[in-house]
Amino acid sequence: MTVFSIVVVAVALACIYTNFNPLGIFMEFHYVRDLVGEMTPPNYHVLSDNSSTAMAILQTLSLAFLGTLYGGVIAVVVAFLAASNTMPFRAIRLTARFVLSFLRVIPILVVILIFVIAVGPSTFAGMLTLVIVTVGNFGKLFTEMIENVDNPPAEAIFSVGASRMQVIRYSIIPQILPTLIANLLFAFDVNIRAAIGLGIFGGGGIGFQLQLAKSVLHYKDVTAIVSLIIIMVIVVEKISDYLRRKILGEGKLR
Amino acid sequence: MLEVKNLTKTLPNGRRLLDGISFKVKKGEFVGILGSSGAGKTLTLRCLNGLLKPDSGSVIIRDEHDRPLDICKINKRELRRVRQKIGVIFQGYHLVKRLSALENVMIGKLGQINTFRSLFYGFTDTEAEQALKALDKVKMSELAGSMTGNLSGGEMQRVAIARAIFQSPTLLLADEPISNLDPSNAKTIMKMIKPLSEHMPVIGVFHQPEMTAKYCSRVIAIKEGKIIYDGDPKLSNKRLEEIYGEELELIEQQEHLLAAIAK
Amino acid sequence: MYSFKRYRKFILPLIILLAVTEGAAIICGATFGKLFEGLYRGIAFFGNMYPPDWSAFSEMLEPALQSIVIAFLGTVFGALMSIVFALLAASNLSHPWVRAITRFLIGLERSIPEIVILILLVAAFGLGAMPGVVALSLGCIGMLGKLLADIIEEIDPLMIESIESVGGNKLQVIVFGVLPQIIPNIISYTLFRFEINIRLSVLLGAVGAGGVGYELDYSFGMLQYHRAFTAMIIIIAMVFATEQLSYYLRKKLKMEGALK
Repeated sequence: MTVFSIVVVAVALACIYTNFNPLGIFMEFHYVRDLVGEMTPPNYHVLSDNSSTAMAILQTLSLAFLGTLYGGVIAVVVAFLAASNTMPFRAIRLTARFVLSFLRVIPILVVILIFVIAVGPSTFAGMLTLVIVTVGNFGKLFTEMIENVDNPPAEAIFSVGASRMQVIRYSIIPQILPTLIANLLFAFDVNIRAAIGLGIFGGGGIGFQLQLAKSVLHYKDVTAIVSLIIIMVIVVEKISDYLRRKILGEGKLR
Repeated sequence: MLEVKNLTKTLPNGRRLLDGISFKVKKGEFVGILGSSGAGKTLTLRCLNGLLKPDSGSVIIRDEHDRPLDICKINKRELRRVRQKIGVIFQGYHLVKRLSALENVMIGKLGQINTFRSLFYGFTDTEAEQALKALDKVKMSELAGSMTGNLSGGEMQRVAIARAIFQSPTLLLADEPISNLDPSNAKTIMKMIKPLSEHMPVIGVFHQPEMTAKYCSRVIAIKEGKIIYDGDPKLSNKRLEEIYGEELELIEQQEHLLAAIAK
Repeated sequence: MYSFKRYRKFILPLIILLAVTEGAAIICGATFGKLFEGLYRGIAFFGNMYPPDWSAFSEMLEPALQSIVIAFLGTVFGALMSIVFALLAASNLSHPWVRAITRFLIGLERSIPEIVILILLVAAFGLGAMPGVVALSLGCIGMLGKLLADIIEEIDPLMIESIESVGGNKLQVIVFGVLPQIIPNIISYTLFRFEINIRLSVLLGAVGAGGVGYELDYSFGMLQYHRAFTAMIIIIAMVFATEQLSYYLRKKLKMEGALK
């Protein structure tokens, strides 16, 4: 019970500190009403007026796709370098683990801002950011997957005189492949949402269009774009779920 | 021919796990190694293909040029070469469950196949045909395409034997190959292993003296790291008690079970 | 000796994959070679940001606190809202229509990135901590609402029946039957969400919620990259500390749960 009261006091203090009034939303609801008034009806002509919105959607999808693909491949490679049962050289292993830990904690904001400067504001910057983010998010998971693989078959394969690479190819990879692909599909789902956010900081795509529309106060465009974003995310999520079920379900049945 | 000389392995606290194990095995022999748990049988077997390195002693095998090689002393590359010709069957089968039975058999020759080719291309059709013949010998050719994870224990062990056969080995090792199987499957496996001893020495670790009595040509008993018996597989009750001590009752139960199945 | 017929079934998927990749690469201006060049440039630039500007350290502390507080409030209010949504979305507590609508809303919220929510709120209310807290709170609903709803659906139905059978109404069933069983889950998931919200708070800060995220963005904008590096270090410390705290509390919770 004391924990509860501590939390309540903390919340109260926090609200005072940030001038946050929890009921503020309801008390100042007229702002929301005004905004909704300006935002409806949504202007779907953004799609046809100039091709930039439709193109932007393609851009976001592309950068999420490539970011996941490249990031996933790099994450797998680094994971093999970081796993204790596939990398016997301690120096390489520790370096790989350090890189993965570092990429995991680096704030995504820093990454996008760096790339915007390094390669210019573009979808390319957004894609590079997603590559780094994907390695950060999944590198450690993949390493654990590799290390948790059934060991006995590996022992048998070594016993026939196979090399380490052959053991990896015939024992480890068959065991992790379905889960690996399922995770990459999941990564695509996560990355598409991130890609939208990155667009706002210069990463291109539909996020950029959203920010643009908002800054020139074209709220009807904003609504249209937001609804398109929602549709895009839902579609990607459904596809990702379907493919994942097909792969994992098949894995279980197999 | 295999010659084991004076294997020793001592724990840091002084206890001797292996204390001067020595024996010779040649083609035509099916040797069963018996002993109570912890006596040192599995350790001995694992020294024979280099999975374990003893503190001292040698395991001498002859390579394809008939030169003697000491497994305990050769380097990694030579060990890999030697292992190509040593077949191993494990208690837990040690198959890759996600691959088909046929693929598991073909894995047996990985040591003998060019690494690059095995990584990127896989196995040739010729190799697949030969693997199928190996599966035929263990009566598993119908299930060649099924995923190994779906097979029963007895079927998996037969695939493991096919994998060993496929290697065309000069020595076959078996680490408690029937301990996970029911008595009827155990009999089938023993019946498949025995004929292999005509072409190469077969050394197996067993927990089932009634099985070794029936199928092996020779029995070596190990107690507390030392060989206490080496000879006729049919053991008297007095011998069995020497080897196993209190575990004798368990064995008698198994004997009854086996007799019941044989009927 | 080597026949490649076996790989025939891979040809079509591979071609599709390559085509999609190529198309995406053209759209993003990111062919494979440019990938490594881009990564290299990013890493090189990152190296140039070192060393941090230690004089700015003290200026960053208060914005950091702000970000933490925003995340904290967002998590607390978000958890409260999620509990309500979860109760409405559980099949063993709600009318099927109510459940369907609530589940739909939860799914809808999951599809809207928190940044988009923030942008809309900033458009309505202007900059500040308030839109940040609200955006994070709403953002919790998608994750916590779904997780808690699933947990509620799995609780022992006997508990609910026993309270209903002594004449309790719906509210009493919830307070005395459902909530006590799920409190460990609530706390555990909320702590996990707090970790996510800390990172989001930084990101949202740059879009208008203030805090150390804003400082980071501002530093970049003013070309003061060493100052930005300092902000980054503080953020990393914040995130890391939050993760450790969350992990520690969740472990302690599990142990106490096991002792019960």
